[in-house]
Amino acid sequence: MLRLAFDIGGTFTDCVLHDPATGVVHALKLPTTPADPAEGVLKGLDALLLQANATPGMIGAVLHATTIATNAVIERKGAATALITTRGFRDVLIIGRQKRYEIYDLFVDKAEPLIRRRHIHEVDERIGADGQVIDPLDAASVDRAIDAVLKGGAKSVAVALLHSYANPAHEQAIARRWAERALHIPVSISSDISPKYREYERTNTAVVNAYVRPVVDRYLARLQGSLKERGFRHELFIMQSNGGLVSPILARRYPVRILESGPAAGVLMASMIGASVGAEHVITFDMGGTTAKLGAVDGGVPAIAPSFEIDSVKYKKGSGLPISTPAIELLEIGAGGGSIASLEMGLITVGPESAGADPGPICYGRGGRRPTVTDANVVLGYIDPGYFNGGTMSLDAAAAAAGIAAHIGAPLGLATGDAAWGVHLVANSNMEHAMRLVSVERGRDPRHYAIVAFGGAGPLHAARLARAIGVPKVIVPVAAGVGSAVGLLRAAPRIDVTATRVLRLDSDVSPVIRDLYARLEARAGEELSLLGDAPGVIWTRYGYMRYAGQGFEIHVDLPGGPIGDDFAARAAQAFRDAYARKHGHRDDGAAVEAVDWVLVATLRRGSDERWRFAAADRKRRSRRSAWFPEAGGYTDVPVLSRAALAAAGALAGPAIVEDADSSVVVLPGDTVSVDPNGHVIIAIATGSH
Amino acid sequence: MSDVALDPLTLTVIWKNVLSIAEEIGITLRHTAYSEGVREGDDFSSAVFDARGRLVSQGPFSPGHLGSFPYVVRAVLDDWFPGESLRPGDAVLLNDSAIGTGHFPDTMLIMPVFLDGRRIGFVCNSAHQVDMGGAAPGSQKVQGVTEAYQEGLRILPIRFVRDGKIDEDLLRVVLGNVRMPDKVQGDLIAQHSANCSAAVRLERLFRDYGTATVERVYDEMMVRSEAAMRAALAKVPAGTYSGEDFLDDYGPDTPPVRIAIDITFDGLGGVTLDYSRSSDQVPAGLNSYLNFTRAYAVFAIKVFCNALWPQNDGNLRPIKVVAREGSFFNPRFPAPSGGRAVLQVRVFDTINQALAGAMPERAMGAFSHWSNPNIGGIDDRTGRAFVMYDMALAGYGGRHDCDGPEGLSPVMNCSNIPVEVLETHNPILVRRLEFITNSGGAGKHRGGCGLRKDIELRNSTATLSLLGDRHKFDPRGLFGGEPGVRAETILNPDRNARSLPSKATLAMQRGDVVSLRLSGAGGYGPPAAREGQAIARDIADGYITAEHAKAKYGYGPGD
Repeated sequence: MLRLAFDIGGTFTDCVLHDPATGVVHALKLPTTPADPAEGVLKGLDALLLQANATPGMIGAVLHATTIATNAVIERKGAATALITTRGFRDVLIIGRQKRYEIYDLFVDKAEPLIRRRHIHEVDERIGADGQVIDPLDAASVDRAIDAVLKGGAKSVAVALLHSYANPAHEQAIARRWAERALHIPVSISSDISPKYREYERTNTAVVNAYVRPVVDRYLARLQGSLKERGFRHELFIMQSNGGLVSPILARRYPVRILESGPAAGVLMASMIGASVGAEHVITFDMGGTTAKLGAVDGGVPAIAPSFEIDSVKYKKGSGLPISTPAIELLEIGAGGGSIASLEMGLITVGPESAGADPGPICYGRGGRRPTVTDANVVLGYIDPGYFNGGTMSLDAAAAAAGIAAHIGAPLGLATGDAAWGVHLVANSNMEHAMRLVSVERGRDPRHYAIVAFGGAGPLHAARLARAIGVPKVIVPVAAGVGSAVGLLRAAPRIDVTATRVLRLDSDVSPVIRDLYARLEARAGEELSLLGDAPGVIWTRYGYMRYAGQGFEIHVDLPGGPIGDDFAARAAQAFRDAYARKHGHRDDGAAVEAVDWVLVATLRRGSDERWRFAAADRKRRSRRSAWFPEAGGYTDVPVLSRAALAAAGALAGPAIVEDADSSVVVLPGDTVSVDPNGHVIIAIATGSH
Repeated sequence: MSDVALDPLTLTVIWKNVLSIAEEIGITLRHTAYSEGVREGDDFSSAVFDARGRLVSQGPFSPGHLGSFPYVVRAVLDDWFPGESLRPGDAVLLNDSAIGTGHFPDTMLIMPVFLDGRRIGFVCNSAHQVDMGGAAPGSQKVQGVTEAYQEGLRILPIRFVRDGKIDEDLLRVVLGNVRMPDKVQGDLIAQHSANCSAAVRLERLFRDYGTATVERVYDEMMVRSEAAMRAALAKVPAGTYSGEDFLDDYGPDTPPVRIAIDITFDGLGGVTLDYSRSSDQVPAGLNSYLNFTRAYAVFAIKVFCNALWPQNDGNLRPIKVVAREGSFFNPRFPAPSGGRAVLQVRVFDTINQALAGAMPERAMGAFSHWSNPNIGGIDDRTGRAFVMYDMALAGYGGRHDCDGPEGLSPVMNCSNIPVEVLETHNPILVRRLEFITNSGGAGKHRGGCGLRKDIELRNSTATLSLLGDRHKFDPRGLFGGEPGVRAETILNPDRNARSLPSKATLAMQRGDVVSLRLSGAGGYGPPAAREGQAIARDIADGYITAEHAKAKYGYGPGD
C-alpha cells in the first residue's frame, strides 16, 4: 500500500507519496489556502495521484502535519473560552510567571492570555500537594460557575484546579457535572491534558487545548469527510509535537498535542536521513526565510523537551505562552534569509527583524529596500540569481549589491564584497551561538555529530557553522524543500503519558514507581484503543529528574522491563550519568529527586527504508565567481548539480552544489560527494578553523 | 592602545564572541543552580574581564550587579591579589558586602584565564545563595540586625580554588556556617563549573585571533560604548533633577528612611547621581553599600536614556555615582545590609520621579512594591530545615501610552515561584493569590493592581522574616495620575486580624496566616482623561468596581 503525507505550512503545502515496495517518492509543492486549508490538501492529493498514476484505493495511510492549531493561537482566532479554577486563584493565568523577556527593557508587556479575566470563574475546593483533599468540592459553587460560563457565551471550557495532577477527582467531578448540564460545549480538564505540576503552565496548556479544540475539530471533521468521499478507505494520522502520529479522534480531543506538528516532522526527516548515511547523532539545522530552527537527534532518537512556547516575541524565551506537553526539542532564532542587516555602533547586526516573503530581500525586486542575508549571499556568489528556486524566480543581483553597498559597505568604508561577507559572518555568528546552546551546552560533543541542513538557506551556511562548532560532517538531503512531509513518512503512532510525582530516590520507592507506571500504562491503554489497529506496542520510559533542591530537571531515559525493587537505584544512577554528560560534573553523595514520569507507547511499523525520488535531476556543470576568504576573496569555483556531482565522484572545495531547491556552499579543504540516495555529504576538514 | 590594524568584521565577530561567553556562564549557572534566587529570580550575574581587570562584557542578567562588577574585580586585584599572585587554576571567592555586591548571600567567584602562561583576562559570576547563616533563614533579616557580623559568614577574597579544584577545607568552613549546606555546596560547584567552560572559550578566542588583536578589539569596544553612552546622555537637557521618596522604616517602630537623589546632566554626555541628601546609615539590615547603589543608578539611567547596549567598562565611564560616606547609600562597614534587595524598586521610583519632567515618555507611575518574605524552620514531617524563599510581584505604573501591565516583575527580573512548587517543598498552604480590586492608581492610564497572597503555616512553628514596603508612603502617580493603594501585611485576616510592619520578623504557629497585600501602582495622567471604554472594560473584568468608577472617574451606567 502507498503512503501519502502532507504538511500544511504558512506559505506552502507540501505533499509526498511513497511506495514502500519500490521506494519511489513523488513530491509536490502547492500554495497553502489559508481560508480553507483542507481545500489545498485535497487539490494536492488529486494532483499527486495523477502524477503517480494511483487511485485512492491504493493508499494505505494518509499522514498529516498542520499549523491550524498554532495559527488559531497566534491570530487569536480560537473559540470563545472560559476557565474554571480554585477559589482564590482566579488570576493565575493572568499573573503568569511574571518575568520580563527583556531584562533591561521596562516597556515590554507579557503575552496576552487567551481568556479575559471576566471569563474566569472560581469553585470552592482545595487539594494539597500530596493529593489529600483539604476542602471538599462544593457542588453549589460548581453549578454557579457553570451558570456563569454559559452566561458569558463560551464555546469551549477549561478546568484547572490546584494540584489536580496529584488528585484529579475534583476536576473530573466538574467535567461530569458539565456533561450532565451542557453537553454541547467541550470541556478540557488540566489533569487530563497535562497532569504536571506548576499551575500556570498546566492551566495555560488546558486553556490552549480548549481554545483550539472547536477549530481543530471542525477542520479534521471536514478533512475526514472529504477523504471518505474520494474513496480513501484507510486511516488518517495526524503528526503531534512529540514526533509521533495520532488518530483524528485523539487529535480532536487533545489538539494541544499537534501544535508543533510541522517542525517535528522536519526533525524526523533529518533523523531518517542521518540514519540512512550512518549518522546516528545529528544536529538539525533548518534555516528558512525568517528563522533558523535547531534540533538534535541522539542515537537515532530525536530529543524531546517537556514543554515549549508558542506565539513568542522575537523568539525570546519567556515571551510566549508555555505549553506543557512533550515536544521535539527545537531552538528557534530570528536568523533567516530574509533577516535584515543594519549597523549599530559601527557593528553589523542581523535580525531578528525580517523582510519576510513580502516585500522580501532587495533582490526579489518586490519593493524591499533594506539588505538581507539573502542579498548578501547573492553578492557573495553563493546563490545564482538566474537559478533561484529552480529558475522560477529571477533575482536582481545588482540591486542587492547596491543595497549592501549603501547600507553596510559605505558607512563602514568596506568594499561591497567585504560588506556582504560581514553580513554572512554575523548571521553565522548568531547561529553559532544557538548551535552551541543545542550542542556543547547540552552535553553533546560536536565531534560525534553530523549537521543535517535544510530549508532554503540552511545549505548555504552549514559548512561554516560545522567548522566553527567542530562538527565533521554536513548532510544536505535530497528534496530538502519538502523535508517535513518526508519526515511524516518516518513517523510511527505514539502516545506519551505523563505524571508529576516528586519522589526522592534515596529511599526505597521502587514500589511507588511500579504503581505509578501501572497507572500510566492503563491510561496509555485507553488512548491506544482510540488509535486504531495496534500491531505491536513498544513501551519506553523516561523521566525528568534533578539533584534534590535544584529547580531545573533534565531528561533521563529509564530502564525498561519489569520494575523490580532496585528500580529507584537504577533510575538514580541513570540520572547521575545523564547529568554528568550534560553538565560535566557529578555529585554521588547528593540525593536525586524525580519530578515527572513519562511512559511512551510507540506502535511498530514496517521497515520501509527504501527511498528514491521520482524527479529526475539533470547533470549541469558550470563555473562562477564566489567569495571564499580562505582563497583570497572572489574565486572562480565549479558549480555542479547533484547529478553532475554524483557522476564526478568526490570533489574538493571550494565549490557550489546547486539544485532547484538548494545551493550548498563547500569550503576549501572540505570534500563533497553524493550518496546513492542523492544526499549531498560534505566531509569537513577537521582541525581547520 | 595597540597599533594592530582592526577591520570592522573582526571587531564585530570578537565583540559578539565575548558577549556570548559572558551569557553562557549565566545560562549554565541558571540550569544547574539550587538557589531559588538564581533560577527563578535571575539573581546572578556573569562577566568577562580583560587582563587588567576592566569589564569587557556582562551577561544580560541581574541589574543588581550592573554597575558594581568592575569595582569588585578592581578591589580584589588591587588590594588582595596584586600583580602575578593569581596562578593558573586559581579562583577567588568573596561575599563581603562592602567589597562585593552589597550583601552576604551573593557569592562571587573570579577566575583568571591564562594562555601559554600569560594572563589574558578573568571570567566571573555571582549567585544569590539560599542562605549564608546569620540571624535568620535566608540571611536577609532587617529587624534587630545592627551589625554585619549578625548576618552570617563573611568571606573576604580568598583563594577558594587551587589547581582547578575547590579547596575542601575552605568549603567545609563555608558549609559549616550555613543552614542549607547541600544547596550552597551545589551552587558553589555550579559557579565554578560555569567559569571553567567559559575559560576554555576565552582561551580559544585568544588563540584564534591573537592576544594583540583581541585586546585591540577590547579597546575599541570600550571607546565606542563610551561614545554611544555619552551621545545618549547628551540628549538630556543640562540641569539638576531631584527626586525624593521614603521607605516606611528600617524595622518596626523606627523612623522612615529618606531617599533623595540629585541627578545632574552636564549636557555634554556626563551624568552624576548624588545620593548624599539621603538618610544616614541605619542600624538594621537594609543599608545600600556603594556597589549596590551604583548598580541601580546605572540601570535606571540606561532605561531612561534607552541606552540598553551590553555593559562594559566604556559605557560605565560617563556615569558617576556619589554618596556621602556614612549615609544610607554609602555606609561604613560593619553596617548590616542583608535586606537591601527591598530598595531596588524604590530607588528606581525616585529616579523616575526626578526625570519624569525631562523625559515624560520614558517615565511611568510608581511600581507596586514587591515583597520578598522568608519562612523557615524545621519541617515536622522530615526533621529537615526548610527555608521558603518567596517573591510576590504586582503591577507597573501607567505609561504615557498604555495602562501599567498587571503582575509583571518590577526593576529586577524575577519569576514568581509556583504555588504548587512552594507547597510541595514547604509545610505551607497558599490560601489566595489574586489581584486586589480598586487598588491600581486611577489615571488616564491606570496603574496595575496590587496583589494579595495569603500563606498559611502547616507546621508547628516557623520564623517569618518580612521584607516589604509601601505601608506608609504612597506609590505616586504622574502628571495628575493618582497613587496606587498602599500595601498592608496582616496576620490572620479571618480571626484576630493584626496588622504587621513591613519588615518585621516574628514567630508563626500552626494555622497562622500571613496575608501580603502589595500596593497598587501609580496612574499616569488625569483620571478625567480616561476613555469610557477602558473604564467599562475594567469593571467587566473586575479590576475595579462600579462604585470606584463613579468615585474616581465620575463614570456611571449609560456613560
